[in-house]
Amino acid sequence: MQKTSTALTPGLIAIVGFLTLCPVVMLILGSFSGELGAFGAFTLEKYVAAYTDPAFAEILVSTVIFTLGSALVATGLALFLAYLNTRTNIPGKFIFGVISLIPMMVPHILFAVSWVLLLNPSNGMINLFLRQLGLEGAALNIYSLTGMILVEGLLDLPIAYLVVAPAMSAFDVALEESSRVCGASNARTLIRVTLPVLRPAILAALTLVIVRSLASFAVPSVIGMPGRIYVLATHIYSIVATGYAADYGMAAAVGMSALAASITLIVLYRRLTREGEKYVTISSRGYRPSVIDLKGARYPLFAVVVLISFVLIVLPVLVLFYTSLVPYVMTPGAKAFAAMSWRHWATVLKDPVSLLALKNSLYLGIGGATLGIVLSFFVAYVIVKVRSKASGLLESLSFLSFSFPGIVVGIGFMWFFVQTPLYSTIWALLIGYIATYLPYGLRPLTSAFVQIHGHLEESSRVCGGGPLYTMRRIVLPLLVPGIASGWILMATMFVRELSLSVVLSRPGTEVLAVQILRFAEDGLWGRLSALGILMIFISTALVVLANGIAGRLSKKD
Amino acid sequence: MKKIAVLVALLMLVAAPCAFAQVSVEKAKAEGKVSFYANMTSVEPVMEAFQQKYGIKAEYTRLSTSKFIATILTEHAAGKLTADVLQAPIPVMELLKSKGVIASYVSPASAGYPKWANKDGMIQSFGIEYVALIYNKDLVRAADVPRTYQDLTNPKWKGKIVMADPATHPTTISWLVGLKENVIKSDAEWRAFLKGLAANSPMFVASFGPTPAPIETGEKLIGISMPKYIVTKAPAPLDWAKVSQPMMGTPRAIGITAKAPHPNAARLFVDYWLSKDAMKIMADQVGEYVLAPGVYPPISAIDKAKVIPIRELSDDEIRKWGAEFKKIFAK
Repeated sequence: MQKTSTALTPGLIAIVGFLTLCPVVMLILGSFSGELGAFGAFTLEKYVAAYTDPAFAEILVSTVIFTLGSALVATGLALFLAYLNTRTNIPGKFIFGVISLIPMMVPHILFAVSWVLLLNPSNGMINLFLRQLGLEGAALNIYSLTGMILVEGLLDLPIAYLVVAPAMSAFDVALEESSRVCGASNARTLIRVTLPVLRPAILAALTLVIVRSLASFAVPSVIGMPGRIYVLATHIYSIVATGYAADYGMAAAVGMSALAASITLIVLYRRLTREGEKYVTISSRGYRPSVIDLKGARYPLFAVVVLISFVLIVLPVLVLFYTSLVPYVMTPGAKAFAAMSWRHWATVLKDPVSLLALKNSLYLGIGGATLGIVLSFFVAYVIVKVRSKASGLLESLSFLSFSFPGIVVGIGFMWFFVQTPLYSTIWALLIGYIATYLPYGLRPLTSAFVQIHGHLEESSRVCGGGPLYTMRRIVLPLLVPGIASGWILMATMFVRELSLSVVLSRPGTEVLAVQILRFAEDGLWGRLSALGILMIFISTALVVLANGIAGRLSKKD
Repeated sequence: MKKIAVLVALLMLVAAPCAFAQVSVEKAKAEGKVSFYANMTSVEPVMEAFQQKYGIKAEYTRLSTSKFIATILTEHAAGKLTADVLQAPIPVMELLKSKGVIASYVSPASAGYPKWANKDGMIQSFGIEYVALIYNKDLVRAADVPRTYQDLTNPKWKGKIVMADPATHPTTISWLVGLKENVIKSDAEWRAFLKGLAANSPMFVASFGPTPAPIETGEKLIGISMPKYIVTKAPAPLDWAKVSQPMMGTPRAIGITAKAPHPNAARLFVDYWLSKDAMKIMADQVGEYVLAPGVYPPISAIDKAKVIPIRELSDDEIRKWGAEFKKIFAK
């Protein structure tokens, strides 16, 4: 094993480094360049201007609250849902698969807009309803830091869920049984045994959501700006948007603080999960997750889950469907229902660019996620099982372009790809996607790898199994849930990817999110919603496909 | 001597297209394609009409304003700029001209256009991105509709206004500065207007794009926005306040790239773009305010309105005023 690992690590560092360093190096060059492009005379001016801005301190505070808050909301909900789904006898388990995924597929900008329609202080539908009940004081204002955290937390819930759920389902029941034998209650077992053992997965989910919400733009712009709450992403946007000759070098200089924060988080994460052996739960003995009987709490808890799924799925999708039918954005009522038609659907389905975008996004989703997961598999293996200094480097590298705010990283890729023959081809998009969203494949796989004890591999080797045989017969089957999660995260992400696509897509390589953004910029919410629903269909089909294959593979073994 | 040579060369560059203004349709057809980079939206109908008329493929790459210069200069520096024709607001075109991206060309189709629309024989303005007070006509009574821009400071509009963020949105910043230079004139009155507007706590959005939605739904009643939405968002209950003062906006311009891969098709395209046919498509279907004489968008009373171009603000000015507005509009 040592031999293969030594060859594997440098090779992977080269591949991942190439993928993620190229755009980042271009951005670093740009941040020190005296020109608008990446290549100019050296200057420190951009850093000085960026970090002496008096508004910066306040922006940092809001950013910390926003990202931490979103991470706690997303991870907390994910733990709750994953626990109920994998460890208890709650009814209606199929809902969980759906809950955790729909927000991945809804374009974030639309999700945010539908919450504005529901909760804006002037005439948000929920607020109007509360007022009718005479509950003026209960009216909520979405344009606040709390509003931002809730919406971003809900949007990032799938990321957290897909990291936590595989770990939860691979839990060794013996640990919990021992706890109960020693007289602890279910709740105490949960707090003292289950959660601590899940620490790597929980930390991974928190890290991932913090980094993602740091780069997120939809919620800060749609909900934060009207409430005049600025976070790092909107601050960077204002640097780029004020004036016509947008200075992306200066934006990159600000983005470096996001990069520094992410790298710190990764280092911290590695330190906190250093004693990997502690978290191994699938060893060779009696691996079988057990089911806890919820008894009387079964239906109340089920009601909570139904409520969450209503808020997460039914409401936004209903709003989306409704908007796709009305001629303009109307508050629901007799007038709106009288004016409904399929006009927007007809326009979208006849639009050749929208159809091409559907096709391209489907290819990129399937092809990109498959290539991405293969790469993630090897990288995760090295990160978890080799755990040398080099593997730490590999892990940090994998997060590089992911942790840059979207507006900036797209430009980094443009500066890079324009130097290559790949510029303005679909390959540029494919490579850019994998490079940026590698952590989506990597996180579920690493938290799955962490739980597989080396004994399993060693036993196979002792019995004469070669490294490839061991991988295929022992490791891979146990990783199936993690692989499926990673593939789903990547595929659904690629289908709705915007930040890179908006910079790299050209006539012929249009993709869905860019087409949706065009509709948004023209304020054509009806067409946008129709295309958004088509996008959800595509993603759903991909998820069903992935889960179907994963289910079969697990059964076989 | 050198200077004279440069001058002669420049003169020839300017004179040549004027002298041979008639573009050869055959040559353009032989080139087979024209590539158009634009920040304007919804120009597909014009592209299609051009394709139908000449049988030349017209490819449209949409670049938002904030990515326009970054993208063009990156491609230009790498020798990979595939655009034949560029369309952007005047300040963007001026900056690209200073970097040597724009070629000289005066289209014969621009004959009836106002004089200010082409100062240098390179950049041709064809429209104005006009800004007005847009309101919800179902929810605002006729008597309440503002008659001057200053009416927006009336406390009855408190919490009812939406506008693009005046600290960052260049068009809104230029418009507010334009008010001072063209409409309100007295600095004290202008500042009073800004303070009054700020006191009404307008809701800020990122750009013009998201301004009409809250007005349509009635979340807000009025906004600083664009009349073209009355056309593109029909049948939404939007109308513009017919104030006694002129309307203003940044000019939209078009130009050919210096190293256009399809130079003849590029000229033919610009000629077509500036023709009455194309301008009529833009006015009718996109609600654009165009400079072709006698062509107006289908919006009530717009043909009688006075629409003037705003002075081009440099980026330094925009940032300076943005910072100033940020203070004035602070909560």
